[in-house]
Amino acid sequence: MSDVEDRLKDVLSKILKIDKATIKSESHFVRDLGMESMQSIELIAAIEEEFDIEIDEDDVTDVLTFEKSAGYIKGAVAD
Amino acid sequence: MAANEYRKLSPVEVHRLQLQNCFAEDWGKVLVRGDLDERRVYGVEFHGTVKIGELTGTVEDVGGVVKNAGIYRAKLSNCEIGDNVRIVDVVGHIANYRIGDGAIIEGVGTMATTPGATFGNGTLVEAVNEGGGREIPVFDTMSAQFAYIMCAHRYRPKVIAALEKMVADHVRSRTSDMGEVGAGAVVRSVPEIVNVRIGAAARVIGAAAIEEGTILSEPEAPAEVGMGVAAKYFIIGEGSKIMGGAILTSCFVGQGVRIGKQFSAENSLFFANAEAFHGEAVSIFAGPYTTTHHKSTLLIAGMFSFYNAGSGTNQSNHMYKLGPLHQGLLERGAKTGSFSYMIWPCVVGPFSVVMGKNMSNFDLGDMPFSYIDAAADGKSYVYPGMNLFTVGTVRDGAKWPDRDRRKGTSKRDRIVFDVFSPYTVGRMMTGEAQLKKLAEETDRSVDEVKLSGAMIRRLVIKTTAKYYATGIDMYLMGKVFERAEKAIGEGGGASDVKKALSAPRGAVHSDEWTDLSGLLVARERLDAVHADLESGKVKDLRAVSLALDGGFDAYGADEWEWIRRAYAERYGKLPHKLKGDELAWVAAGYRKARGKFLKMVLADAQKEFDELAQIGFGVDGSSADRQADFEAVRGKFEEDKFVMQMRAEMANLDERVDDFTNKVKKL
Repeated sequence: MSDVEDRLKDVLSKILKIDKATIKSESHFVRDLGMESMQSIELIAAIEEEFDIEIDEDDVTDVLTFEKSAGYIKGAVAD
Repeated sequence: MAANEYRKLSPVEVHRLQLQNCFAEDWGKVLVRGDLDERRVYGVEFHGTVKIGELTGTVEDVGGVVKNAGIYRAKLSNCEIGDNVRIVDVVGHIANYRIGDGAIIEGVGTMATTPGATFGNGTLVEAVNEGGGREIPVFDTMSAQFAYIMCAHRYRPKVIAALEKMVADHVRSRTSDMGEVGAGAVVRSVPEIVNVRIGAAARVIGAAAIEEGTILSEPEAPAEVGMGVAAKYFIIGEGSKIMGGAILTSCFVGQGVRIGKQFSAENSLFFANAEAFHGEAVSIFAGPYTTTHHKSTLLIAGMFSFYNAGSGTNQSNHMYKLGPLHQGLLERGAKTGSFSYMIWPCVVGPFSVVMGKNMSNFDLGDMPFSYIDAAADGKSYVYPGMNLFTVGTVRDGAKWPDRDRRKGTSKRDRIVFDVFSPYTVGRMMTGEAQLKKLAEETDRSVDEVKLSGAMIRRLVIKTTAKYYATGIDMYLMGKVFERAEKAIGEGGGASDVKKALSAPRGAVHSDEWTDLSGLLVARERLDAVHADLESGKVKDLRAVSLALDGGFDAYGADEWEWIRRAYAERYGKLPHKLKGDELAWVAAGYRKARGKFLKMVLADAQKEFDELAQIGFGVDGSSADRQADFEAVRGKFEEDKFVMQMRAEMANLDERVDDFTNKVKKL
């Protein structure tokens, strides 16, 4: 597991108040991890803070699985 | 004798009427017009002066049933009966009433007017603050805007005094010893009607009792008062239907309103197209399109408009200290979720959604389009701008104009339907500034901070400020883009575009706008109305109406002037000074903001079709059955009408912006 994925799990675990171990690469934030719409805003901000990146609000709708989210962050960090 | 003059009965006519079981206290006071067909007057007792029109034709009842005009088995006292009226089976009496041509009155008990009746005009309705202080003397032609000023602007006592005087004058003009039933009205099976003026073509059928009121009605917009309704001290507007055992006490009901299914209301005002079923209202100002449909919903001591109450919605206005003194304001477009609760005082910003049991007193007027959610401990948390990008907000904006039920000759409540306007976007700008400041001032070690009486999670501050920024860009850039696009589309050159983006004639500018319960106006216009009321320049109800109409008519020009100034403040240049490449930049900015908006609304719509939404479908079947069942009932996401509209707009947006950019660069 990459550093990005590990840190993303930490963020998810904190915001969604779930056990880090339950997060799989294919986990969907809403369906599998129970993210509510209001938590999604906190999640964006927490990811931005953790990785020092900017996320467009509407991009969130494209990265609702752990795998896609990690990929997005890696791309943003690389930029 | 002219054909339309009343005459005394001849001795032969009196004799024939006596043979038909008729009795008169004084036959000399029974007057008729034209030839009298005595067969149409049977079992009637006349007291005082009774004038009767021609009774030779027929009346048309509900459902097109044709009946003979005539008076059968009734006691009439001091009445004027129009031509071809049908009065049958009056159990008690009809006293002091003027009954219009073609009206039908059947099976009523007592129907009487007492001296000096005001027919509900002048009734003091203690709206918004149950403890008093905002009493509105209602009258038959009252608009939402008049009531709003009277209710909300108590900080201008001279304005209130001027309005009160006008209403008092109007009430005097409406005072009479005679009640009225308008032409073509139907009044049937109502045991008690006292001091009620009933308009033309109204249907008052099966009501339990109606007292001290006016039912405005006209053939184009007939009002209905139906089964089991009990109303006392009221005004009911044209095209409204009060049905199903509703109970109204000291209430004003405007035009196109629906109240029924055992709803009860007291000291409340309902304006254009409001709907109230099942629940209860006490001391509320229900502005246009206020909707409450569910049982266990109590709306109390609040002001609402374009509002939707979830089931079990409830508020408290009583701290068990000095009485029920507290009040709440839910600004236009607000919603309350099922079993949501608020403890007044609170202010909910425009188009916000309230959920949970909120035990905080908050003032979130500057945080429009928010979610306000209560934690288990009752603390209220605000998520600003969360309701900007939802299907609900988009649909609301489209549905209200389509659902305007007012079909009469006048629409008294002036309504600006726009979701995005100087009022809401101005609030977003204030909200954005507050959130940015809060973000700067809040240390990263903090989880949450207080915002206007509610809590806000630190992590949401920055993101929600961006939500507002998107909404502001979409509105300001969109309006500039649309004007320039229209000018170019009409074959205009640079000068035409400049003209289209210039200051409008006759507009006023105010940073602040206000929502007069449906009418959005620049503060300066409202201040002018206030000043004219205080000086006496506006001195009667008609003049007030014209002044408010002026604000309504000026909305488009004032809105554009506000946009121009707001644009300049935000982006550094007045729109009419923008060059071709700058206009292309505006178009690109609009594409970005609007595209983002549409994408997020679509994502919200997608939730209605995802796996979680399919729970409960395909019962007893396989997962394939679940999918098939869901699609049979709900359809497919791709084929949903709303989704297709949004996608079409997205595609169209790109085309429009590309086309505009090509053209504007050549200017």
